[in-house]
Amino acid sequence: MIVDRDGCVTCSDVAVTALVVSVTGQTATVEVDGRQEQVAVELVAPVLAGERLLCHAGIALTRLEDES
Amino acid sequence: MKYVDEYRSAETARRLTREMASLVEPGRTMRVMEVCGGHTHTIYRHGLEGLVPPEVEFVHGPGCPVCVIPMGRVDDAISIAERPNVIFTTFGDMLRVPGGRGSLLEAKARGADVRMVYSPLDALDIARQNPDRNVVFFAVGFETTAPATAVTMLRARDDGLRNFSAFCNHVTIVPPLRAILDSPGLKLDAFIAPGHVSTVIGTHPYDFIPSEYGKPVVVAAFEPIDILLATLMVVRQLREGRCDVENQYTRVVRPEGNARAQEVIAETMELRETFEWRGLGSIPESALRLRPEFADWDAEVRFDLPGVRVADPKACQCGEVLIGAIKPQECRVFGTACTPETPIGTCMVSSEGACAAYYAYGRLAGERDVVPA
Repeated sequence: MIVDRDGCVTCSDVAVTALVVSVTGQTATVEVDGRQEQVAVELVAPVLAGERLLCHAGIALTRLEDES
Repeated sequence: MKYVDEYRSAETARRLTREMASLVEPGRTMRVMEVCGGHTHTIYRHGLEGLVPPEVEFVHGPGCPVCVIPMGRVDDAISIAERPNVIFTTFGDMLRVPGGRGSLLEAKARGADVRMVYSPLDALDIARQNPDRNVVFFAVGFETTAPATAVTMLRARDDGLRNFSAFCNHVTIVPPLRAILDSPGLKLDAFIAPGHVSTVIGTHPYDFIPSEYGKPVVVAAFEPIDILLATLMVVRQLREGRCDVENQYTRVVRPEGNARAQEVIAETMELRETFEWRGLGSIPESALRLRPEFADWDAEVRFDLPGVRVADPKACQCGEVLIGAIKPQECRVFGTACTPETPIGTCMVSSEGACAAYYAYGRLAGERDVVPA
């Protein structure tokens, strides 16, 4: 599962951004720093490939607004 | 790298601190509490205390869930972990938190099956793979982590997974803020509020801070530029005599939060009448327990727990650090008897704890660095 390199996963406020690669049911395969991981996406569904999610402790909490 | 490089720009940092310096009043200290341990970590790691004008003082708050877990709850966790046929799963930082009877890591050394996970869903997988064992997850964290536990409880129920349970210690962020605001001798001028907790709860729960206590709040993200910008927003409010809830972390935090996450928390958990916080004492309605409908998956129901209150070590001043009454280095055992290798207090255990962050990045700093404008 996703873990922030610098921080403590227990900390409620550690979360990382992940790029959605594919979605199967309530689980998405996401990419973080070149690694692929699985996260639960029922709290932000529907999710599409190419979206960026904020993930914490194995679940996606929100999607990032693209500021570009 | 998008979302990283632009938030670590030295040029932007200089521009923000120059504007801050133009707004502060010489001799008038602005004491700003960063509530979240993640913010504390960034402030020390990137030397932000040395960048901001001397009139801006960061005060480190109670937003590290590892740091606020009382020793008695750790003992309860160990008592579950040491039972036969139990696999006890926990986030890594909780492994070394000392209880009255040592830590979970020491229990593991004595033979308990204690395993580190990054997600409660990993614990659920362990339960599926070990149908003859009782798998327990040590659920710790603020509103950012509670949705992961809630989703896990719903999946356990829907899958009929009877060998899984959670030892629920989730806490909520608003009651300790109110407790700090009500503490006698409060010397805070403003708050930098936690960013990822706010992705779940939104920004409205902080409205009482300006309306009842007259203090500004800025919700902030975690990169150094984020924190400097949030600090500048605080300084602007104080300079203009305003007190509002503002949101620096607009790229993920919505005013209403994540409604679905709030719903799954409410579906699986309810407020406890009271909960003991390390350093802050018992605070009413400040923590969550599993609802009676989830009693079959509630470790507090399934296991007979000691539930004994354990006093903190006398030498430890974590309590005063957690409410911003003293700085980590002012604790009588900081860096001597209490180090990350041999922590006495929880603030030295978690990497988000103010003492551990200060030990790692700030303990050798002397006078404030002079940064050319």
